[in-house]
Amino acid sequence: MFVTQPARPGPRTAPGGRTRPWRWAVVALIDGLALWAALWLASTGAWLLLIILVAGAIGINVAFLSERAYPLRYLLPGLFFMFMMVVYPIVYTVYVAFTDYGTGHILTKAQAIRQFESRLYEPPGAPRFPFTAFQNDGGDLRFLIPWEDGRWILSEGDQFQPVDRDDPALIDADGDGVVDGLAGGYRALPTLGLMRHLHELQERVFHYDGVELRLASLTQFARLSPRYRYDPAADQLVDLETGTVYRPVNGYFTSEAGERLTPGFRSLVGWRNFTALLTNPRISGPFFRVFVWTFVWAFLSVASTFGLGFGLSLVLNDPRLPFRRVYRSLLILPYAFPAFISALIWRGLLNTEVGVINQVLRAVGLGGVPWLTDPLWAKVAVLLVNLWLGFPYMMLVTTGALQSIPDELYEAAYCDGATSWQQLRHITLPLLMVSVAPLLISSFAFNFNNFNVIYLVTQGRPPIPGAGTPAGATDILISYTYRLAFEGGSGTDYGLASAVAVVIFILIGTISYVNFRMTGVLERVGEHV
Amino acid sequence: MKRLAAALVLVALLALGACPALASTPGTLLIWADEVRSQVLLDLARTFEAEYGIPVRVQEMGFGDIRDTLNVAAPAGEGPDILVGAHDWLGQLVTNGLLEPIQLGEKADAFLPTALEAWTYDGVLYGLPYATEAIGLFYNKALVPRAPATFEEMIELARAAADRSQGIYGYALPIPDPYHTFPLMSAQGGYVFGPTPEGGLDPLDIGLNTEGAVAGVELFDRLIEEGVLPVLDFATMEGLFVSHRLAFMQTGPWELATVRNAGIDYGFIPIPPINGQPARPFVGVQGFMISSFSANKLLAQAFLNEYIATTETMLRLFELDPRPPAYLPALERIDDPDMEAVAQAAAVGIPMPAIPQMAAVWTAWSDALTLVANQELEPKAALDDAVAQIRATIEASLNR
Repeated sequence: MFVTQPARPGPRTAPGGRTRPWRWAVVALIDGLALWAALWLASTGAWLLLIILVAGAIGINVAFLSERAYPLRYLLPGLFFMFMMVVYPIVYTVYVAFTDYGTGHILTKAQAIRQFESRLYEPPGAPRFPFTAFQNDGGDLRFLIPWEDGRWILSEGDQFQPVDRDDPALIDADGDGVVDGLAGGYRALPTLGLMRHLHELQERVFHYDGVELRLASLTQFARLSPRYRYDPAADQLVDLETGTVYRPVNGYFTSEAGERLTPGFRSLVGWRNFTALLTNPRISGPFFRVFVWTFVWAFLSVASTFGLGFGLSLVLNDPRLPFRRVYRSLLILPYAFPAFISALIWRGLLNTEVGVINQVLRAVGLGGVPWLTDPLWAKVAVLLVNLWLGFPYMMLVTTGALQSIPDELYEAAYCDGATSWQQLRHITLPLLMVSVAPLLISSFAFNFNNFNVIYLVTQGRPPIPGAGTPAGATDILISYTYRLAFEGGSGTDYGLASAVAVVIFILIGTISYVNFRMTGVLERVGEHV
Repeated sequence: MKRLAAALVLVALLALGACPALASTPGTLLIWADEVRSQVLLDLARTFEAEYGIPVRVQEMGFGDIRDTLNVAAPAGEGPDILVGAHDWLGQLVTNGLLEPIQLGEKADAFLPTALEAWTYDGVLYGLPYATEAIGLFYNKALVPRAPATFEEMIELARAAADRSQGIYGYALPIPDPYHTFPLMSAQGGYVFGPTPEGGLDPLDIGLNTEGAVAGVELFDRLIEEGVLPVLDFATMEGLFVSHRLAFMQTGPWELATVRNAGIDYGFIPIPPINGQPARPFVGVQGFMISSFSANKLLAQAFLNEYIATTETMLRLFELDPRPPAYLPALERIDDPDMEAVAQAAAVGIPMPAIPQMAAVWTAWSDALTLVANQELEPKAALDDAVAQIRATIEASLNR
């Protein structure tokens, strides 16, 4: 007789007490992915990430295989991915904000050193040596070079030895005076035949009489020797050709005379990027103006999309309206199209000269509007485009919220003689806000950083006459940051851009925190209704 | 135990199968190219692999993405051996330490000297050039009776052809677009960066508000004011030209395919001289580069010298992407008046500055043109502002 036992959290085992096979599969899958990622990270030298990854993988294994860690089983993967996808990028951005990462400082110091050490130099005027390559059936290669002094030299392993022209090891089968083989089954290779051995040969150093020889091309050996040597104890790079010593200064190996070697490398620069935000007039000048417009933009975007979306959902929520579903489906369309495409289409529609909107306005005698060229109209234009893109979302969420408000409340209000306005004001809005307010806050944060619409429609333009910097009238903080990062005085400047990103992050974090506190108040109102 | 073994096998398989597939690995060539060039390279790759047993993989990427991705991917060990791009990437890529010098050996003489010059940075050659390009002037033979010999004559023809009430325009270039507007400014002596004694470019000698540059933008301003030059963006301009509603279109050979496919009876000529002075466009040179993070530098070098620098390959590249080859033996084999016009335009042109400071120039310059086109500022004032902005940006980064 079997009695069903109440389910209880704890070890889940299949009948017979063995662990279920699906769990092995999941662990195997995760370990496979982790192993792949670990190999890859190890090959690129990203040790910090590797340690984090290994720790995470071990954690997952323990959680899945140990019965005591059962509750962790469902939490850990989420935590792991949250760390990798959210926490790590934030930490990394903050780190970059304190570096000079950007054009000229892309490589790590170790990579720069490796690159310098792999540079070769050829003494000026040194001859190059054409050669003949020979190969036997085992794939071994030997090279024969007519040397400077008229003698021939033949390689044996990595060592060249002089060889007499009538040495029996050199075989001239057809008697035309050209050596076409070597004793031991070696046959001459055609020039292009060396192609498939190049990747092995490029690392090989050959020696003859105290001279280093390397393969310089398919047809020539050359006297190439390393140009630089790094001395880890003194942390300096020595130019072996000239003897000049270079020390790391400001992310470059720099000589006493101030000569810098390129490439530079990434280095920590302290608060420099942050002080630049305050002291560099190019950055701080337009910062305040851009900052204010960013707020106005984000606020008006939320207000307009919510206003229209809520209005439409109220109308469409009325059961007396025929074809409600059709209208709803049609109105969701702007949300269903990729915003990139819509934004670019709007850019064309708003063209002052040939855009459809202006053509229609002219046709009805209103005259054209300088949509994208006038600072004020450009702001109106981006807000309108964002309204088009954003209202369906608001309509969707408010529709859902409206339908969850119980009809009894309205019936009671009706019995008490409340007008529609009073119903809206005292029943609908407070109850709606309970679920919608957090979405409005996230929408604000999203629009605060709504790079796509700004960049695709106006690119932050139109420019402002007489401005000291190229910040445009519709630039918001994030599009301005993009400008700073990619149109800097020396190319890209990720360090500075990260510093602005950190500032934006702190701003949005603060605003959202304050807003959520306010929502908390609203929620309490909701509970009392 | 069996299950454990099975799990281990699964893990191993996953690890093997998921190894990063696209990175420079010894003995295999990886090429990054855009969609046009990758078609040619895929064919070459097959031939090469069949002949030498060396796999060549071609990864197709957006043209502009190649440079940006290389900056991130190469140091992370995921870059290619060979990449295809434009010479004005040099400054950034060389400064970042991502390119390997190229040796052409005896083949150097077979290349257009200006193309080699464009691919030389700090006295070192970093690319195998394959095509040059410069903008010129398309005209619609149905709207214009003859090819103009001077800029002034072109304007007269444009005026005669235009009929705004029918939506027909005379002369257009994309606005605001410094690249397309530069010939107007350079004709009278405007330049972007002046030369240094060593033959490089001086980032603090900015010539965009010199007398000649201002004269060029004044001409631009006057043409807009007089209604000859409409304020259009690139796509609109192209749309008008292929629908027979634009007489003259100032742009480059990349539009040839579109114009030919649209069945327009067109002519393509270098921009005619302004006030008797040649209108000097920017010259861009496309080429092949080798990544300094390549594991196959010698092989890549040999592949370029033996397989790319050949008349056959250069002609294949030309077929799919008609731009005059920089490889002289291939150039001689081409009989095409349009290509001759591009080559002539490039011959008087100025290589696009390759120094990384160029990044600071475009927006400020473009803004100045916008403000002039919108009649908000006089040309002189607009260009002075632009140069002040550019100088401030560049100085701030040099003083670090």
